[in-house]
Amino acid sequence: MTSLHDTAPIAPMRVVGQRLPRVDAGERVTGRAIYPADLTRPGMITGLIKRSPHAHARIVKIDATKALALKGVIAVVTSADFPEIKPNTIIPFGETGADAWVSAVIVLARDRVLWRGQPVAAVAAVDAHVARAALDLIDVTYEPLPHVMSIAGAILAGAPLLSPDLKPKGFDTGTPIVRNAGSRTLIERGDTAAALQSSAVVGGVDAVIDTAHQGYIEPHACVAETDAGGFVTLWASSQGAFQTEIQTAVLLGLPQSKIKVIPLEIGGGFGGKITVHVEPIAARLAQISGRPVKIVMSREEMLTGGSGPAAAAQIDVRVGADAQGRITAIAGHYLLDTGGIPGTPTTLLMQASAACYQTPCLRLEGIDIMTNKPRTEAYRGPGGIQAAFAMEQAIDEVALKLNIDPLELRRRNAAVTGSLMPVGTPFPSIGLTTILDRVAAHACWRDPIAPGSLPRGRGLALGYWRGTSMTSAAHVTISGDGRPMVTMGSVDISGTRTTMAQVAAEEFGLSIGDVHVASGDTKSAGYSDAAAGSRVGRTMAAAVSEACRDALAQLTRRAAEKLQTTVANVTYASGVFRSGAAAPASISLADLMRATLTDGAIVGRGVSTKLPFGVEIGAHVADVEADPETGQVTVLRYTAFQDVGRALNPVAVEGQIEGSVVQGLGWALTEGFDYAADGRLRNASLLDYRMPTALDVPPIECVLIETPVPGVPYGLRGVGEMPIVPPAATIANALRRALGVRLTHMPMTPERVLAAIKGANFGKASG
Amino acid sequence: MKSVITCEINGEPRDALADGRDTLLELLRDRLGLTGTKEGCGNGNCGACTVLMNGEPVCACLVLAGEAHGAKITTIEGIARGNTLHPVQSALIAHGGTQCGFCTPGIVLSAVALLDRNPHPSPHEIRHAIAGNLCRCTGYDKIVEAIAAVAHGTNIDVKPAP
Ligand code: FES
Ligand code: FES
Repeated sequence: MTSLHDTAPIAPMRVVGQRLPRVDAGERVTGRAIYPADLTRPGMITGLIKRSPHAHARIVKIDATKALALKGVIAVVTSADFPEIKPNTIIPFGETGADAWVSAVIVLARDRVLWRGQPVAAVAAVDAHVARAALDLIDVTYEPLPHVMSIAGAILAGAPLLSPDLKPKGFDTGTPIVRNAGSRTLIERGDTAAALQSSAVVGGVDAVIDTAHQGYIEPHACVAETDAGGFVTLWASSQGAFQTEIQTAVLLGLPQSKIKVIPLEIGGGFGGKITVHVEPIAARLAQISGRPVKIVMSREEMLTGGSGPAAAAQIDVRVGADAQGRITAIAGHYLLDTGGIPGTPTTLLMQASAACYQTPCLRLEGIDIMTNKPRTEAYRGPGGIQAAFAMEQAIDEVALKLNIDPLELRRRNAAVTGSLMPVGTPFPSIGLTTILDRVAAHACWRDPIAPGSLPRGRGLALGYWRGTSMTSAAHVTISGDGRPMVTMGSVDISGTRTTMAQVAAEEFGLSIGDVHVASGDTKSAGYSDAAAGSRVGRTMAAAVSEACRDALAQLTRRAAEKLQTTVANVTYASGVFRSGAAAPASISLADLMRATLTDGAIVGRGVSTKLPFGVEIGAHVADVEADPETGQVTVLRYTAFQDVGRALNPVAVEGQIEGSVVQGLGWALTEGFDYAADGRLRNASLLDYRMPTALDVPPIECVLIETPVPGVPYGLRGVGEMPIVPPAATIANALRRALGVRLTHMPMTPERVLAAIKGANFGKASG
Repeated sequence: MKSVITCEINGEPRDALADGRDTLLELLRDRLGLTGTKEGCGNGNCGACTVLMNGEPVCACLVLAGEAHGAKITTIEGIARGNTLHPVQSALIAHGGTQCGFCTPGIVLSAVALLDRNPHPSPHEIRHAIAGNLCRCTGYDKIVEAIAAVAHGTNIDVKPAP
């Protein structure tokens, strides 16, 4: 009587920390996993979106008469079919709330288009061929307006003002307002200017970073349907079912209780599937037509304005140090391209870029700048890679100027538990010095670079990401055979079902095969924030373990009754309740449920809010080779060290790190939007917007370090965001050692590498 | 203009009415309900739509439905034998070679095609064979490890759940 299985003996059960395959992997390798584009509903029709051909224009008139007359066209919508949402319509969203106006402008332009590819109308038709023909028949009259496609252009005195009515935030009296600024954030302590002036050396880098895309392989897609009572059901591929529900409800002017979002599989998001893009349009078309509507974006639509890319940036950093290599001051100026709508936050990335170092003086100033590009959205540790690209190169410059080993310089200045974070509060438990010790002892740092015929160099960079906590909910019921069934309010974007099955199995002392975990829809699960900010693993683990303990407490009361003893006398382990009373007795969880199923449901509830942050810190080391004739860069070896608190499932953790690093290498070397002067995106395909293939990257070696976070179940830290932060700086620092030049424009394409080499030679010749 | 396409899909004879503009990908997904084959780009750049046509891997988004008339097509739905997974599928599970899973059907087809013509590929040959399949989640390591494990007959069992 020791097993849930009627026949099989119970297996050993320490499941947290084990290398386990994903519980849902079988569906994925057989093609049975269902994403929204795979779904068909009875009577379903196809929706398509008409987009702006202008980077900036006033919409004079939209005439859909001809489109509606086409046989097979069922409905057309424009902004006139949606309530107008004013700026500062704040909806609940994570730590700070969000402005529903931003979502509204992204979903459908009203009066004015602010980027090429911004939606202006949508059509629903019997099939995609008819819908495509109908799009051409929607007549839109525009009055083009002057546009600007770069931060450098937008801040010039004569640049067109993209939001003339907007009053930029954060510019106190005496601070000149930057043209096209959204808002300004300042983090300051000490007299940074004076400290830099009196420093023995100053390392500086002025960096420019091009817009990039999150690059998830699954395009945005959804299916919407209404019932006779007007209740809307949405099948979505979204990082947050509840966030999709709230945004869609507000944009449609529906009460939130009238919409249910059912999360299906998500083919990657990386931050780009938090804001709604197609969902409110599909829902409105479904309401008007009375038919289920599916919308699937094309890749070209996604790249040219249908989704929000990651911010371009202009970042200038200065790091001062004394002759012993102690940092005296850090100054950073961060201009972030927010695209056509202001409000892309700069705070987290500024802090992240300076967080690894102790410094008496610090001045970080961040401003988001409007351009006629799609509204920027989050991308894995948003802004972190851009900021680190500048900061970690400046630190490397200090090391070169002082002729100190770059690892040693970082060791001398490393943040430690209790030292001040950029915001001015002490660091919680962190393991940066342990990480640096591990780097120093590792072959990737100790061994000389393998020789080659082309110049080679080794680079080091640190990364930091704070992540968020926000709220997660889960509940657990016990099925009639005694097995725990967990329902989460979060979607599964990074293997959450597997890791939470590990948590539930651990709590119940069962095998992972004996628990079931699913993401609930928004009417059957408790509110949870989006799967973003490296938060779900930690906070959902807290919610699931609380829910399991709650269920076990209820079960223990029931077991006490069955065993005719008091609750205090009952112990539970590995699927069996035992009475320690005079006459020892036991009952298995399975038998208990069989005997008492009809006595009432067991429902364990867990909610986690305001968990301590699980800051992520890591160090990356790369060996690169560069061809001075072609500018081609080859990454020969890559090692990623990361403090993960505790690896719930090392396979999943490594998978997050490896994927994240390769995304970082993509932006570092090849990924960048190339805009023509007229606002057209010249590389709007996955051929020309070049993401890494299996041939472009070396194996990524992961070194996991475990410094648990107090107050978090299992001591978990965030994992998935930090590893995208250091790669570009790591490669740039390696190239500096290989070629003797600083690469300050990202991506570091062969053309830019060649230009840097030529510039350096020219400099030498004329000097 | 619609016409009837007759072909063999996963060993079964199939007929479907296709629009002259339909691709093989649309034929499979929209007309036949075989949604395991994915669309990531629609123009031959991502490999998510990889299927075997007469034994050769092709991007189904680049083949017109009409061209599939009379062909033998293998899709992801035809790789496992009933509930018995192909070793490539088992290895991807065991090695963590699938995350979001959107690229996975295409990766499986490319790997199966590779091992059919070269049962013992080197890691470089494996990377070469899947270079047309973009994966944004895994960084490729665990995919390459999985395929290498099949090629060398090692460690392809899914680790039994504890
Ligand atoms: S969908 Fe066919 S290659 Fe991308
Ligand atoms: S697993 Fe997500 S794209 Fe490969």
